[in-house]
Amino acid sequence: MARAGRQSYPLTWRLLDIAERAARLVWPRRWKRQVGYLMLTPAVLLVGLLAIGLGYMAEYSLHELDLSTYRLVEEYSLVNYQTIVDRPVYLRVFWRTLLAAILVTLFALALAFPYAYLMVRTSSARMRKFLLIALFLPFFIGQVVRAYGWLIVLGSEGLINTALGALGLPRLDLIYNYPSVIFGLTQYMLPFAVLMMVPAVAAIGEEVELASEGLGANWMQTFRHVVLPLARPGFIGAGIVVFTLSLTDFAMPEILGGGTSDFIASSIYDSFFQISNFGLGAAIAMVLVGIGSVLAAAMFILVGTGTLGMTGGGRDTGR
Amino acid sequence: MASKRFILPRRTFLQGSAGLAGTAALGTSALGTGMLARPMSALAQDKPEEIIVRVWGGAWGEAMRSGVADPFTEMTGINVRFDYTEDNEIRPRIWAAVDQGRVPPIHVNWDTSTNATISALRGVTVDLSDLPNLEGLLPLARPVGLEGYPLVNTYAYVYVCAYRPEAFPEGPPQSWRIMLEPRFRGRIALYDDGIGFNPIAVIAGGGTIDDIPDNMEAGWEFYRQLRENEPLLGEDPDFTTWFQNGEIDIACTISVNARAARQSGIDVEWTVPEEGCKVDTDGLWVPRGLPENEEYWAKQYVNFALSREAQAAWCSALGLPPVYPGLEPPEDLVGDPAYPTTEEDFARLVSIPSPVLVENQPIWFERFNEIFQG
Repeated sequence: MARAGRQSYPLTWRLLDIAERAARLVWPRRWKRQVGYLMLTPAVLLVGLLAIGLGYMAEYSLHELDLSTYRLVEEYSLVNYQTIVDRPVYLRVFWRTLLAAILVTLFALALAFPYAYLMVRTSSARMRKFLLIALFLPFFIGQVVRAYGWLIVLGSEGLINTALGALGLPRLDLIYNYPSVIFGLTQYMLPFAVLMMVPAVAAIGEEVELASEGLGANWMQTFRHVVLPLARPGFIGAGIVVFTLSLTDFAMPEILGGGTSDFIASSIYDSFFQISNFGLGAAIAMVLVGIGSVLAAAMFILVGTGTLGMTGGGRDTGR
Repeated sequence: MASKRFILPRRTFLQGSAGLAGTAALGTSALGTGMLARPMSALAQDKPEEIIVRVWGGAWGEAMRSGVADPFTEMTGINVRFDYTEDNEIRPRIWAAVDQGRVPPIHVNWDTSTNATISALRGVTVDLSDLPNLEGLLPLARPVGLEGYPLVNTYAYVYVCAYRPEAFPEGPPQSWRIMLEPRFRGRIALYDDGIGFNPIAVIAGGGTIDDIPDNMEAGWEFYRQLRENEPLLGEDPDFTTWFQNGEIDIACTISVNARAARQSGIDVEWTVPEEGCKVDTDGLWVPRGLPENEEYWAKQYVNFALSREAQAAWCSALGLPPVYPGLEPPEDLVGDPAYPTTEEDFARLVSIPSPVLVENQPIWFERFNEIFQG
């Protein structure tokens, strides 16, 4: 009777039953309490591998390069870190990178929020689909390809300057400078910012805005006093992601910067590959990791984790 | 009791016959250039299916393909696969492989002599002193400051002053100092590590060749002035793109790149200004740690690259003076100052020995970086 009953189950149910029985063979019921640890294992392995790699980098950073053999000397020292402090160029590049990360974060947040708001609030399914496709399409194109695309648009013989020339206007230097790197990075980071922002905006019930307007607030007041504060977790999450990605970017500054607007990732690359000084490259990398970690940790402590936290958007988390 | 008689297994007979036949064939080989005496274990059937050669892309790789790789494959049956990893990026991979006792990722590295010297100092290169085709080559083929042949130089090349003729109606630039003129602001290009121009910057800045490397201040001052003109810094592919898109009017680049750009229809010419141009060499080396038979055939490849036939085809395609003596330059480069063949030609150019470059390039790079990243 029971067997006849089970045979009438939908196929998916029966497949799940088989999967459950197979899982019980591998992970018996008496180990049920350890399922959480099992779920954590892949993440721990991944982070562990990263930690091991960082450990190697830290070890390399404590050895100076011997120019007669191009090998790192055995003795430990802080020479590489002293080099970073003593040479103004590294401090300049660090500052340039930090400033760019801050600017790109601000621009990306300012542009991402209206996009996310429209995507969530629009009543048109067609518009929502269009915005989704437009958001995900750039992910199919790599960062390098997008950077080269900007060369075609912004170059001195590019679309914009050709149009300016046709109008009898002087050509502009739109590329191979710091502003073009900021521009390219902002465009690249925008989809990330929107994706982090959407959960927070979606968590703001439309009735809350209606209630605000019902109580006499105009659109601007509702936006400023209701929507923005409730979207704060989205701003925090998007801000942290965009900031850390911008801080460590390599391709955009290399391609759009003209060689004179290098970010710190380029300095790391140059140390490893141009002058084969693995110790110095590792030291610069450790400093970058340190700065990024300290800033991210400070943001988590001061303002919470936003939509990066698992307690969901729309509420202030992490405090 | 059955008498014992010697039975030669068929497999052993075939192996021995192939070995004898191969040895005889090699002795009168159509390669005509002599080959390495083969160790007993490197029998004909020990040929690898392929060997991997690291090359630069574009015109460089095409020249290696037509001049060396394809003829080598035709003669030996061994396929030659190119690895286009950048020279700077393959180096740590080879070093790590050798240090860890692993097989390196390539069989032959086509490298700058300076980079190759660094690898030689690190002890990761195989000695090539027994290559028969080293005999009779120009002294340029011998690496400077090293024992034996941990690498072999294969040709010379010049970092020329490439320019867009349209931007120079008055004729080719006579001096590198023209880069300081305001009309070229943002329209100058150098390699992003100063390679090829550091010594020239000293001379253009009012110093002399005797100042190199102990007193480079004239060069740093020239760079500080040049920095005001916002030059672009990049690599070979960037230069081609920039000339193609009309982004630059003048650059310090290798003559091969300028010639390739011109051959593909881009309006670019080159010259050697009064301060001179840096001349350097590239070479080939074989990393340690290869299986015995693969190392043997890798050395055969290098040996073939030094033959008259390969040098003529390869260097003619590149448009560069070979280390094999007596070869005629390509028609379009006869009398070209960027194709030095005589002592007088080389006297106009600036040559810095590899050991000096190896020792000072990291220091020069740091100063260059400090000035241009400011």
